[in-house]
Amino acid sequence: MMVRSMLRAGAWPAFTGVSGAAVVVGGCGVAFPAAATVLFPIAFTLLAAAAAFVLDEPASLVVDVTPTGPVPRTAIRSLALLAPLAAGAVLMLAGALRGLALPWAATGLALAGNVVLGFAVACVARTRTGEPGATASAAVVLILMAPSLLPQVARRVSTFPASGGDGLSSNTVWWTVLAVCVVGVAVSVNGRPLPRRLPGTGITMGRDLTS
Amino acid sequence: MTTALAPARPEAVAGQATLGALAAREMRRFVVNPIFLFAVVMTAWTTWDGRKAPANAVGTGNWYPVIFLGGFGMMATFWLSRSMRNSEPVVGVTPTTLPARTAALCAVAVVPFGCGVLTLFAFLHFHPVGAQVYGAFSPPAQVAVLVGQIVVPSLSGPLLGVALGRWVRFPGAALVLFLVIYGWVNVATWGSLSHPDSAAFTALRLFSPFAFFTYMENVADVTTWRGSPWFFIGWQLALCATAVLVALLRGAEGRVRFRVTRTLQIVLVVAAIMLVLAARGGFTHAVHA
Repeated sequence: MMVRSMLRAGAWPAFTGVSGAAVVVGGCGVAFPAAATVLFPIAFTLLAAAAAFVLDEPASLVVDVTPTGPVPRTAIRSLALLAPLAAGAVLMLAGALRGLALPWAATGLALAGNVVLGFAVACVARTRTGEPGATASAAVVLILMAPSLLPQVARRVSTFPASGGDGLSSNTVWWTVLAVCVVGVAVSVNGRPLPRRLPGTGITMGRDLTS
Repeated sequence: MTTALAPARPEAVAGQATLGALAAREMRRFVVNPIFLFAVVMTAWTTWDGRKAPANAVGTGNWYPVIFLGGFGMMATFWLSRSMRNSEPVVGVTPTTLPARTAALCAVAVVPFGCGVLTLFAFLHFHPVGAQVYGAFSPPAQVAVLVGQIVVPSLSGPLLGVALGRWVRFPGAALVLFLVIYGWVNVATWGSLSHPDSAAFTALRLFSPFAFFTYMENVADVTTWRGSPWFFIGWQLALCATAVLVALLRGAEGRVRFRVTRTLQIVLVVAAIMLVLAARGGFTHAVHA
């Protein structure tokens, strides 16, 4: 019952809209194999941006003061990450059926890394605001697109297995990112401060009002 | 007749003064926007960093102004447009109409446009016209290519951001559109790489706010693609006008709405004509040099 109501309260229009855009872009990558190595990273970036909207809570001022702690709430919302992961998996499957020559294990790792990075950034941002989606997705997109936009970065870091950079390989980058994200999520969820009380009144207020 | 027009003049003057004051205020907000400042710094850095990279001069080298001044400028103006959304109940009751405020926001695009012009001069300083990297185009056409790749996107991106901010409520819309346009330019360019003589792929490549006109495999092998850079600028300017008119349409009522709609129809026809001329103009086939 709680799972259903927690999931229902999310920012699903934004989440599904961005995921849909990712599927369209990735679908173009499948349709035009020559451009797949450019479009798949963009699609994965959009899926990461979608994952950043998972924790948006329009009613955070009320929800944050309920007895349900941040750990179960975050855990329930994290179920929604299955949607971008599934969308990415469908794109990869379509690409494999179309005959795209990509290292699929490394591509799958990149997909998981992208989505978890978006979620982790949202978790960290959720400690400060009830609707971290817009900010977190912007940060994630800028981080993930940096190698595509700047060759100076691409020479040092590869975020997609086929991008061919000379620096850190995609697998190294994403295993490191996954480890950091797990730590980041754990710390931000466990360390999420309780709503402050107005001094001398005993009135509990949401963080957004008192920060 | 003089009597009939006389009372209108002070109103028109007052309207212009209000618009000027609003534009100046929005411009002050825009020039301190961290996204825009980041875009300016990155544009300057990439232009400076690419000064010794002639092999990429009009290829990937020109990608950065459109990404930063155009793409990031779009995000900056999108957020600038949305920033007053929460204050709408208060701002909405002022005598200034929403189209007037939108026009003031559109005026902000002059700043990234100016930055684009400066970037063009810097680019021409580092890569003078006439070099082999510009392909088989004549010197004036080479400048037209650069204007279409550096200057006009610096104007069109921010204007698109205003239109998007006026019509779309989703806060991540600018990011998504940025990524979609980035992907689209890549997809549209791939066709010309594999079929450089194809008229259909030329039209597809130019059906975009940004287009490459040459492809350089190495310093000695430059392919000049089909398409007219001059008419492409016309297509881009028509897109700019479309963005402004779509933005102005929000909140427009009565006679203003009618005029904006009518002008929008004309601009769309002009845009279509410009696109056809851009695709059919230029060389009749790809030129290898």
